[in-house]
Amino acid sequence: MTISWSNITKLLNYSNMFQQGLIVTVLLALCTVFFGFFLAFGLALMLLSDVRPLRHLEKIKTDDMERKKRLDFIARFNPVKFIASAYVQFVRCTPMLVQIFLVYYIVFGYVTLPKFTFLGFIQFERFFPAAVALALNSGGYMSAVIRGGIEGVDGGQTEAARSLGMSKGQTMFHIILPQAVKNILPAVANEFVTIIKESSVCYTIGVQDIMFNVKSVQSATFIIAEPLLMATFLYFCLCYPTSKIIEHVERRMRQSDNR
Amino acid sequence: MTTDNKALIQVRNLKKHYNYGKLKALDGVNIDINKGDVMVVIGPSGSGKSTFLRSLNLLEEPTDGSIIFDGQEIVDSKINLDAFRQRMGMVFQHFNLFPHKTILENLTLAPQIVKKAGKEETEKRALELLDRVGLKDRANAYPVQLSGGQKQRVAIVRALCMNPEVMLFDEPTSALDPEMVGEVLEVMKELAKAGMTMICVTHEMGFAREVGNRVVFMADGNIIEEGTPEDIFDHPKSARLKDFLGKVLEA
Ligand SMILES: Nc1ncnc2c1ncn2[C@@H]1O[C@H](COP(=O)(O)OP(=O)(O)OP(=O)(O)O)[C@@H](O)[C@H]1O
Ligand SMILES: [Mg+2]
Repeated sequence: MTISWSNITKLLNYSNMFQQGLIVTVLLALCTVFFGFFLAFGLALMLLSDVRPLRHLEKIKTDDMERKKRLDFIARFNPVKFIASAYVQFVRCTPMLVQIFLVYYIVFGYVTLPKFTFLGFIQFERFFPAAVALALNSGGYMSAVIRGGIEGVDGGQTEAARSLGMSKGQTMFHIILPQAVKNILPAVANEFVTIIKESSVCYTIGVQDIMFNVKSVQSATFIIAEPLLMATFLYFCLCYPTSKIIEHVERRMRQSDNR
Repeated sequence: MTTDNKALIQVRNLKKHYNYGKLKALDGVNIDINKGDVMVVIGPSGSGKSTFLRSLNLLEEPTDGSIIFDGQEIVDSKINLDAFRQRMGMVFQHFNLFPHKTILENLTLAPQIVKKAGKEETEKRALELLDRVGLKDRANAYPVQLSGGQKQRVAIVRALCMNPEVMLFDEPTSALDPEMVGEVLEVMKELAKAGMTMICVTHEMGFAREVGNRVVFMADGNIIEEGTPEDIFDHPKSARLKDFLGKVLEA
């Protein structure tokens, strides 16, 4: 397989397709991070929750240490946290491609989506399941980051707030979250870069992203290598500047801490 | 309501165990704290002073025992903890000011969202109190722009803005440079003079002697000796206390 200049000039006839692919990829990543963030936030709150329906077992007085330990173990059970961590483990321990197929062929095999195109060329009935699958995946990963960001706020802040009579919710909203945002935002922005790359598997369910258009151009022209190089170039041009900007903003934010 | 002969806070057989009783941070503490008391708690590191203080406003959940505040049991009871905590202010070793809020916002946030008091009213009161500790001109600064001593004075004012009936201090001067200790102790002294009920964990023996009306010596999760400052500093009875005072006072 040779790479030739003439092949690359031939690709210019298809620049329209690459452009559309680029738009789909970016839009997909934006939707994913937006919806994934809300999912992640909910999951993080679930992971940090203190819902223990059996907590009264802690109060049982007994001199039998083994029994006491067993009771305490059961008393610690938190169903809300359990559900959230089971979900996160599922997301982390199954391949993204499998998750996308599950959502597209099984979930949306039962739910019929309206068929229409938006922005002129994006097929909703393919784009939407892809965005849902990616958001479900990304939300699972981001929940760990958000949870870490919340836990990273000094415990003295919570103690000070609670000692002033603030409720758990007030403490979270007024004291913890505003400080956690600084830890969380850079990671969310980085997730955007990750999703740009990972969303490339969505061509398998017919989402017309960059990779889908690579395949189309390949089969229309019988040129194999150059469209791939084009895709590589596009992905790199999306991801490199974005991550540089994030790094820069992050550094600026850290400096403003020491004002 | 309180009956006059009853103490404001009655602590009975208070225990806090960790690791299934392997570590007894508090092991059956009994004490009465009366309205207007300035009680100073001293003792070696790890003796349970902080745990005792933090149990009083239930930042730490006791393993066993009872705390009766103003006639009401607060351990394992159905009372509204948030409402109860408003009545007890707390000042921490590391200030714990809210770094994303200005000094004025630090002071007015809790009154506004917890007591639902108006903006003007809370700001007026906050500025009044800030003025009293000499920091009125820093109202719009952020905590990072203040020195340690200034931060701690703000932290005291923040607790006072909730009009608490009791103030708890956990080593309020231990994280300060020596030249800033005085300004914070001065504020605490003023507060004591004004009749505030105070419980202070501190290593400032001069303060304990001058301002405290009671001194409590703790070791190994228990109160070993209790009395007036003269009792404790001039006529210590137990060997533990004598030993502790020997070490602290020579330093
Ligand atoms: N969360 C915890 N888990 C396990 N042990 C703890 C915990 N908190 C406190 N302890 C232990 O309880 C004991 C009492 O601690 P506490 O902080 O009350 O002592 P202190 O008198 O305030 O000491 P210092 O003068 O160093 O502040 C110590 O042995 C400490 O290690
Ligand atoms: Mg301590």
